[in-house]
Amino acid sequence: MKAFIEHLVQAVVDSPEEVRVEEEPGEVATKYRVHVAPSDLGKAIGKQGRIANAMRVLAKASAMKEKRKVYLEVVGAPAEVNQEM
Amino acid sequence: MSGSEERQQASAEIAPESLSESARSALAIVEEICSLSRLQMRPVVRDSDATYLNIELVGEDAGVAFGRGVNLDALQYLSNLIVMRQVHGEVRVVLDAGNYRANREAALRKLALDCAAQVKERQEECEIDPLPPHERRIIHNTLLDDPEIRTYSEGEEPNRRIIIAPR
Repeated sequence: MKAFIEHLVQAVVDSPEEVRVEEEPGEVATKYRVHVAPSDLGKAIGKQGRIANAMRVLAKASAMKEKRKVYLEVVGAPAEVNQEM
Repeated sequence: MSGSEERQQASAEIAPESLSESARSALAIVEEICSLSRLQMRPVVRDSDATYLNIELVGEDAGVAFGRGVNLDALQYLSNLIVMRQVHGEVRVVLDAGNYRANREAALRKLALDCAAQVKERQEECEIDPLPPHERRIIHNTLLDDPEIRTYSEGEEPNRRIIIAPR
């Protein structure tokens, strides 16, 4: 899952080498914190959070099979972008 | 016209070797996303023209995970975003799984025709709820040849919507 999210983020930003994904396992859900270069924040979020949201939808679809919950947070994004879960 | 009827009927697999270089690159992008998703699914090319590359997701997980609009649209949106960044030449990926698009297209065509009938009867504009660009295109194309009405879009994505108006 981490590699999957990393791949998606790296593919939409200008500085893929600065992409870092932290995995934070929890009891019910695994949280993924996505770090990108400050200049890439808009690229990872998209207008009205559309890109971050699409990545979140795909991460959930991928986790569905294992019946796990997934939270995806873009570090540095406005709260409303990260709340859409 | 769109040729979408032909597209729906085409169910043979198109060999990647017969595709253009940019279409092959686009296919590789979708393939990589599928394999990294760890879901049991792979993309199969059903049709392609100068611009559009129609791909069906097949495999054990395709129908369950992507036979619904939200997931399919998210994958299609991200795939095209990546394709636009990485592939030279205009190529657009259209994804389907579990016949979702075909069913959706039939429903949108019916919606377009129903609204058009109402517009003609009342001679008043009819506004359709916001739709993504590829779905608006289906509405536009369905009504393109109707001499009594015209269609146009209003608003900004993702709230852009079609207005059907008397001509």
